[in-house]
Amino acid sequence: MFDDLSLVFNYTLVHATLRASTPILYATLTCILTQQADILNIGVEGIMLCGAFMAVTVSYFSGSWLLALAAAVLVGTAISAVMAVAHLRYKADIFVVGMAINMLALAVTRFLLQKVLGTSGSFYDKAIVPLPRIHLAFTDGNEILRSLFSDYSLFEPLGIVFVFLLWWLLYRTVWGLRLRSVGLNPLAAETAGIPVFRKKFEVMLYSGVVGGMAGAYLSLGYSRLFAENMTNGRGFMGVAAMFFGGGDPIRSWIGCLIFGFTDSVGSRLQSLGLPPQFILMIPYVATIAVLALALARKTANERRARSALK
Amino acid sequence: MRRSAVFNTVATIAVSLLFGAAVVAFMGHSPLEAYRELLKGAFWGRFNFGGTLERFVPLLLTALAFAVSSKVAVFNVGVEGELYLGAIAAAWVGVAAAGLPMVFHIPLCLVVAMIAGSLWAAIPGALKACWRVNEVCVTILANYVAIYITSYLVGYPLSAGTGVPQTKALTATARLARILPPSRANVGLFIALAALLFTWWLVHRSTWGYRMRAVGDNPGYAEHVGIRARSTMIWGMMISGALGGLAGAIEVMGIYGYFLDNFSPGIAFDGMLAALIARNDIRLVPLLAFFLAALKAGALGMERFTGIPKSLVDAIIAMFILLAAMEGLFLLRRRAKGKEA
Repeated sequence: MFDDLSLVFNYTLVHATLRASTPILYATLTCILTQQADILNIGVEGIMLCGAFMAVTVSYFSGSWLLALAAAVLVGTAISAVMAVAHLRYKADIFVVGMAINMLALAVTRFLLQKVLGTSGSFYDKAIVPLPRIHLAFTDGNEILRSLFSDYSLFEPLGIVFVFLLWWLLYRTVWGLRLRSVGLNPLAAETAGIPVFRKKFEVMLYSGVVGGMAGAYLSLGYSRLFAENMTNGRGFMGVAAMFFGGGDPIRSWIGCLIFGFTDSVGSRLQSLGLPPQFILMIPYVATIAVLALALARKTANERRARSALK
Repeated sequence: MRRSAVFNTVATIAVSLLFGAAVVAFMGHSPLEAYRELLKGAFWGRFNFGGTLERFVPLLLTALAFAVSSKVAVFNVGVEGELYLGAIAAAWVGVAAAGLPMVFHIPLCLVVAMIAGSLWAAIPGALKACWRVNEVCVTILANYVAIYITSYLVGYPLSAGTGVPQTKALTATARLARILPPSRANVGLFIALAALLFTWWLVHRSTWGYRMRAVGDNPGYAEHVGIRARSTMIWGMMISGALGGLAGAIEVMGIYGYFLDNFSPGIAFDGMLAALIARNDIRLVPLLAFFLAALKAGALGMERFTGIPKSLVDAIIAMFILLAAMEGLFLLRRRAKGKEA
């Protein structure tokens, strides 16, 4: 039994956790950006999937990961622009738009996989150039150091940088203050002279950029192939992590790490023949519990405040 | 307003179909032939028409489930989870209660499935009613929990012991009879239609339904006239969950005959979209559910006979939903023209 547990819980779990949490992290950052403007971006899943497809296709045909990344970002931005027009200009419910985008992305990538790359299911080829990995030569001698610090894909450490960058942007700059005020009280923001419509549109586009990167990382960093529905709910996990952190990048990142941790532990348990489902459930149950407790406390406080006034 | 809404829907369908035709033509096929095969695949012959009906049943029930919860102003995205739990509950009763005569066994399975679904839906309902926890995110998360629970049950305690994670086959007394063999359409269709009529009556003709709609439209008013908004909200969610559970039970008892791990490719999300396009109008829900079911069934035939991938039809459906969601899209144009004239 303890032998089994040491197979599951050991130092390699750190690398595995970081790796598994990164696709979710990018999805979360995509959501946080729009959530701060009070737009629930359910369409991350679709944006990521299209980005992943575009990245693999461009990488395969051009042999350049930079071009692939640029193409994925472009596609992500284009999709989020469509969503923004539908939601902001034509008053479509953002939730419906997001679900439709997810459906559209699944269908379109499946369709193009068949028509452009000529296969169905999944596409793998040696000609796909992945995102670069960071190899630290000084860790070569030590197995543990190498596992902990070396051989990360470029976007894994970069994701952590983005977390703190976004936190700084949101809470320490004028841009972030304006954005948050648009989300908290659009009427007040409008009165204060902040162009709410433009602000929301702008932030949707930025979220498309991050969503496209999420897709490119998923297909060229996390793996090196494209498969139908390869996002497999990671966009929704990103939404969940965003809720877990209440829209705060750092707290949401912790949510992502929990997701990544349980995911890595779950897959190891499964390979040992133990039921992984209860471990895999933890992040979802934890998020629901965090939400419920936070709001329960808030309502209790409000009730107390009200009775004190009367 | 009514007429312009119909015009809007028709225009949306036309634009999406034209878009599909353009893609088909671009690929070097004849759009007319593609759409003919699509129609044939949905309606021609017992097998094809049965295929449409077998997709129609879960779409109708899950769309209803979504529409009912929206009457109490709760956005129930968790129908997928309720469908899974209902399905596994029905599969469990279908095997465990072997020996019962059919007249008791089938209703027992359905009732247990509905209870499972409604209890699961009561959780987000209660969280929303008592503490105003955002139900959209709770139900999205609860879906995963529900699917993991069923996945554990089917993998361990209820496993049939085969390589594929599935339960033992239901006894014959728990099966719903097929109505259009060789297709898998079954008497679940009539159960679903009965559920539709009952739900319509419940929401629009009963006191309960009045309370639900009052709470959904204006909880403050409802509370003021003495309707207990919180419990009404939870009850509304439970009815919604029961419908979701029923959908899962019919899938297991009529289509598969056992519970298969991860059997639903997001059926409830399609149902939800049908309800959203129908703007939660219970009279329109069956029409849109049928329309989506026909498109999905027809796509298979189109793929078989023309070689056009059925994912194209999914793309057209998604386009249609996207366009339909944009309320003002066609209306605004018309108003602008009216002003000029």
